[in-house]
Amino acid sequence: MGDKIEVSGFRHFFQTEGGPVQATGTIDLSIKAGEFVTLVGPSGCGKTTLLKAIAGFLTPSEGRILCDGKPVRGPGRDRGVVFQELAILPWRTVRRNIAHGLEIAGAPKAEREATVARLIGLMGLGGFEDRYPHELSGGMRQRVAVARTWAADPEVILMNEPFAAVDAMTRLTLQEELGRLCAATRKTVFFITHSVEEAVFLADRVLVMTKRPGTIKAVLNVPRSTAGGRDWDSFTSDPGMQKIAGEVMHLVHAERV
Amino acid sequence: MKPLRGLLPFAVLIAVWWGIKIGAEVPDKLLATPQAVWTSFVGLVSHGILAEYASASLRMIGTAAVISFLAGVPLGFAVGTNRYAARALEGTLRFLQGISGIAWLPLAILWFGFSQTTTLTIVIYTLIVPIIFNTMTGVRAIPENYTLAMQSLGAGRLRIVRDVYLPGALPSIVVGMRLGMGYGWRALIASEMLVRQGGLGDLIFGARTFGQIDRIMVGMVVIGTLYIVVDRLLVQPVETLTVARWGVLRR
Repeated sequence: MGDKIEVSGFRHFFQTEGGPVQATGTIDLSIKAGEFVTLVGPSGCGKTTLLKAIAGFLTPSEGRILCDGKPVRGPGRDRGVVFQELAILPWRTVRRNIAHGLEIAGAPKAEREATVARLIGLMGLGGFEDRYPHELSGGMRQRVAVARTWAADPEVILMNEPFAAVDAMTRLTLQEELGRLCAATRKTVFFITHSVEEAVFLADRVLVMTKRPGTIKAVLNVPRSTAGGRDWDSFTSDPGMQKIAGEVMHLVHAERV
Repeated sequence: MKPLRGLLPFAVLIAVWWGIKIGAEVPDKLLATPQAVWTSFVGLVSHGILAEYASASLRMIGTAAVISFLAGVPLGFAVGTNRYAARALEGTLRFLQGISGIAWLPLAILWFGFSQTTTLTIVIYTLIVPIIFNTMTGVRAIPENYTLAMQSLGAGRLRIVRDVYLPGALPSIVVGMRLGMGYGWRALIASEMLVRQGGLGDLIFGARTFGQIDRIMVGMVVIGTLYIVVDRLLVQPVETLTVARWGVLRR
């Protein structure tokens, strides 16, 4: 089995004062190595709960999650996470934030510097190496967060609506940059979003969730003619892509809350 | 120009004092003139008396600050990282904040007599509560995502304490330290007045016995001035070097 991530019979309940609340329905999914899978669904459907379980931030009430065939027992450096906001450290410069994972792993200085320089180039952060996060725009901060996760070189990257808090123009650029970064590094990515366009634009495969308690109601493959060919110009003028986006929109629309 | 502008209100204060003294013809035994206070100041300095009393106070606040910091910050961390301990202790800490250091004096005098230990105990008590409280609040205010992100980068518990909790709580620790120093300084002077074992509180309370109003006023001016100096020279530089640069200053 070439599955990097395997979720089987996953179901989760939150314990509250008024008793258990069901967060998700039963979910099964598998993600192959090097695949970019996006998950789109209405707010509160349990997208984040599923991502947190794969990241190891919470223990599933039911079912099991395997990474490389081994059960997930907590967070680990094999699964990097990019959060929506508030996750890079304000007291570290851009350079030191990006290098953080390598620092923790005890990588030699030369290797750290080389990796940081490469990612700063790839993410268009040149000239900002010694700035602190509060001196950057929201878009720049998310670039740092993405670069930090990539620098640690995890095999799987989990992204939880990473571009939801940046302005619409910047978001388009960030999405294209992420597409290029993924084409250049071939990581296994699991990406959560509530934007249909974003989901189809980035994915090899799109999963659509029902409203809470969410289950996966549809899976759509997105054929890519060229590995690096992810840009909004060609995406919007490609009738094939627009057709898939239309289908996903139709599926999501039915789940309005 | 800037330090001069800061001094202007003080000049106004002295002018008002002088005005009242002369205008209302307040007798010397109730209010000394600025010149008399200055003369008394020069006298106290030249005989080394002021240095003796002031250094006793500064030593005491310094000792208390170091002990309170070393004990209060780890305690604040211990409480702040444990949700149950935090909830349980929050009320207790607030309760203790209500009982000022001075209110402990009768008990402390019974326990330790009229000694330096009594004063030290009172000042540490006053200083440490805001430090514990603010460290705790600071730790609890650190976004959970910081910790989760570190765990996903492979960080262990010690690493997270060093890279996330310590710098994350620092703004609040600085606030706690500033508040603590302010409260502690006041408690120190009050305790010195009752314990009478040296210090500026002892100086001004002793002067009262002999009606040396000029000396009392010198003591008060020195108490206020030293507090500003301690705050400006010690606490503010720490703040500008770290917290302000990170853009996480909390007031």
